[in-house]
Amino acid sequence: MTADILEAKAEPVEHEDTRDSRRLGFSLTLPAQLLILFIAVFPILMQIYISLTDWSPLDGISWWQAHQLWNGFANYTDLVADDRFWSALWRTVLVMAICVPAEFLLGLGLAILFVDNFPGRGFLYSVLLVPMMVVPAVAGYMFFMLFQSGGPVNDILSFFYGAPVTIAWLSDPDLAFFAVIASDIWQWTPLMFLILLAGMVGVPEDQLRAATLLGASWTTRFRTIVLPRMKTIIIIALAIRVIENFKVFDNFYIMTGGGPGVATETISIYIYKVTQQELIWGYVAAVALVILISLSVVSAFAIKRMSQSREAG
Amino acid sequence: MTAIHLENLGKTFGSFTALKNMNLEIADGEFVALLGPSGCGKSTTMNMIAGMIDPSEGAIRFGDRDMRGVPMSRRGVGFVFQNYAIFTHMTVYENLAYGLRATGVAKAQRDRRVHDMAEFLHLTPLLKKPSAGLSVNILQRLAIGRSAIMEPAIFLLDEPLSNVDAAFRAVMRTELKHLQREFRQTMVYVTHDQLEAMTMADRIAVMDHGKLLQVGTPIDVYNNPSSVFVAGFLGSPGMNLVKGRSVEAGGFIRVDLGEAGMSTPLPAHLSASVPEGASVFYGFRPEHCELTDGEGLRLPVTFVERIGARTIVHMGSDGSAVKCVFDNRVPVRNGEVVSLAIDPSNVRVFDAETGAAIGGAN
Amino acid sequence: MNRSMPFEIFRYAAILSLVALSLIPTLWMVSMAFKPIAEWSATGAELTWWPNSPTLDNFRFLFGESSSDLIVALDRTAGQPILSSLLSAVFGTIIAMMAGTSAAYGLSRFGSGGNLPLALIQLRIFPPMAVMIPVMIMWAFLGLIDTWYGLALVYGIVTMPFAFWLMKTFFDDMPREIEDAALVEGCSRLRVFWKITLPMMRPALASSALFVFILNWSDYLIALLLTTRDWVTIPVYMASLSSSMTGQLYGAKAALGLIAAIPPVVLGIAIQKHLVRGLTFGALKQ
Repeated sequence: MTADILEAKAEPVEHEDTRDSRRLGFSLTLPAQLLILFIAVFPILMQIYISLTDWSPLDGISWWQAHQLWNGFANYTDLVADDRFWSALWRTVLVMAICVPAEFLLGLGLAILFVDNFPGRGFLYSVLLVPMMVVPAVAGYMFFMLFQSGGPVNDILSFFYGAPVTIAWLSDPDLAFFAVIASDIWQWTPLMFLILLAGMVGVPEDQLRAATLLGASWTTRFRTIVLPRMKTIIIIALAIRVIENFKVFDNFYIMTGGGPGVATETISIYIYKVTQQELIWGYVAAVALVILISLSVVSAFAIKRMSQSREAG
Repeated sequence: MTAIHLENLGKTFGSFTALKNMNLEIADGEFVALLGPSGCGKSTTMNMIAGMIDPSEGAIRFGDRDMRGVPMSRRGVGFVFQNYAIFTHMTVYENLAYGLRATGVAKAQRDRRVHDMAEFLHLTPLLKKPSAGLSVNILQRLAIGRSAIMEPAIFLLDEPLSNVDAAFRAVMRTELKHLQREFRQTMVYVTHDQLEAMTMADRIAVMDHGKLLQVGTPIDVYNNPSSVFVAGFLGSPGMNLVKGRSVEAGGFIRVDLGEAGMSTPLPAHLSASVPEGASVFYGFRPEHCELTDGEGLRLPVTFVERIGARTIVHMGSDGSAVKCVFDNRVPVRNGEVVSLAIDPSNVRVFDAETGAAIGGAN
Repeated sequence: MNRSMPFEIFRYAAILSLVALSLIPTLWMVSMAFKPIAEWSATGAELTWWPNSPTLDNFRFLFGESSSDLIVALDRTAGQPILSSLLSAVFGTIIAMMAGTSAAYGLSRFGSGGNLPLALIQLRIFPPMAVMIPVMIMWAFLGLIDTWYGLALVYGIVTMPFAFWLMKTFFDDMPREIEDAALVEGCSRLRVFWKITLPMMRPALASSALFVFILNWSDYLIALLLTTRDWVTIPVYMASLSSSMTGQLYGAKAALGLIAAIPPVVLGIAIQKHLVRGLTFGALKQ
């Protein structure tokens, strides 16, 4: 059982601090540091350079000669005026605003159902986790098949409607949007469920019993004891899902390719398309940098606030 | 303020019988201790009184009310958990106010009652503080206050002192007893510590292996244990029980204690009840022995424990192993053979097979 | 908790309906994988949830036996993509585990690499797409495009944070007395790590490695960008199976999807105890 996060006190770990151990520690962390350098530092430097040029791989010159196509901050000003970029960003935020709360509420509901012991609990729990473990690209294809105009979704709807239903889900902008959101909710609710259940189970049972004996109803207990004690875990779960959902690519791209038109084009799909189809890599580099910097700032800010409240609370 | 009636209470978990044939009447305002070792069924009994578990058989009544089917939240029972179960994410004030809030008491009244209770328990300066990290002493008072503020008819405490330093335990025992007197609650107190039970309870119910063995006042249970188990469980060290055989000698029964020799004649009421030739346990408390030069039980000293004010002398071995408590000036040495004299009125006899006491009280 | 009968009924009803919802998409794909071509595009009344005549043709097709019903044969079998997925995922896992475990030990025992936790979290926050152009350029420069080892290297870097966080919490949980005892006896710290700590951590290493493997195996975008022909992985290959020529090869793609999906699901269920730890970067344990 998870230890209740509120009672866990972090004991300060004493680290050995001899010259030998420092040397060993350094060499142990070296590979990881190098890999990060490779994937984070160099790329960012490269991107800064390229983003100030009008370079494209089609130009026939190698990237380090891109300075020949110098255009200063033109890419950045273009970015501000780029409707497609802003709508992709907006769309991504919209997806997040729908998916994450939906997954949270469903996951919370499931956690409530699973917190007591009952026959079959272990088995049903494993079954419910399956969607999360399906390769996202494959999940995208599953939902692609499901939402075909001759497919199972229409079949089931026909059953309830009484007459044949042949909605072309993936050809209609709004319906396609709905379909990709459905695929995300399907795939990631189990994750919320997993995390929230672990947190819920860690709420000390004695406190719940004490509350009951003092006359509290189930809803009162849930509101005054369960949820407050799950606060940290809820924040973690939401943060994780928000981060991953922002990056979403695989299943959306496979289901609709970002379409019809740009109806389901999230920010990652937008960047991908501009990279592979329009090949204006100088511009894409600028876009990427803007996103990276914004995310860095936001996350550093959030992490700082979290560690501050951890120390205070 | 209510009396509790436990009638033929029993509980089985699958094939395991945790409790059977529990019959106990607890009077209004009485402080009863359920005393026994782990697994004896005392916590199970209390959890059933609280409504946390349903009985497998038997009935529980508070006064005239049959509690079957009454949910935990409606029993009007105060409960102090072993680890206090304080809502550590709330302040002291919020803990005290919890039950009142949960049952819809108006804010003004709530506030007044919380302040009154805090005043009474000397918690007023701490009201605004988060309850996490407070000392055990404060937590105990908070736990009691949180339950007491609901003015329950019955108070249940589940080994509340087991997490407390030995040094503090005496202080907190007194506090608990004082609080019980003040609130005049009917209190049921579960413990495995016989000293706690002896000092705090009006009556003690001794339990073992799911059975209620004896109920009585502390002195009663101490002086007249109904079974070998109760005799050994109460007192520190417990009653000495030497195996022997009853013989008839000059109109009275004496007990042949093997190597230790022959005991003094049993008092009249015991003599009448103990049959001749029976296999018995001869019982006497460690503090009731006296060293004598004359006739008595002859036992070799095996170990002398000098622990400050008292000295515990271990004598004999196997079936006639005996411990006696003397003051610290007693001149005994290891290996010596001493003679013990025991006042017959302090002797208790138990059937060696059933473990039951033979003969009525003095 | 005493629960009433109506609640129990509601509980099972709710859970079972959600179970049905979570299984339907998967089961549909399983069903498609075993359907013959004739049934692929069935609509309306002909749509069946279970194949009328289940067949292994789709699987055979994937592995080279061209069926007489299919107009076109594939330019390769599914064997190569499967090999590519396997190699890149396995070696990516090795890289991630090696770098992540050592760094985790360094941080846990010596406090070195204090910048790593923050840096690794930030690494996870970045959308892969935002760093892929430089990576593509670098990889092209190093000749690593369309190779399984080029892919494995990126995988290793990208999933290293998970290996790091998982192993760090495991190391933190492990009592140091055992290591201290060995140190007192004169073992060097490196030896202690190698001969004592790591063997004790075998179950933790296994679970972490499987977790990282699942992540690597499930990748699509990175492989899409870094492979072109020879070393495409299963998801990329699956997505490319349709073209204007062949039309939608529902059954074959479903069969391929099934092949791709089974390892992570099986492994995931095997390590489900540790999923919470891995997915919350060690903030929670189960």
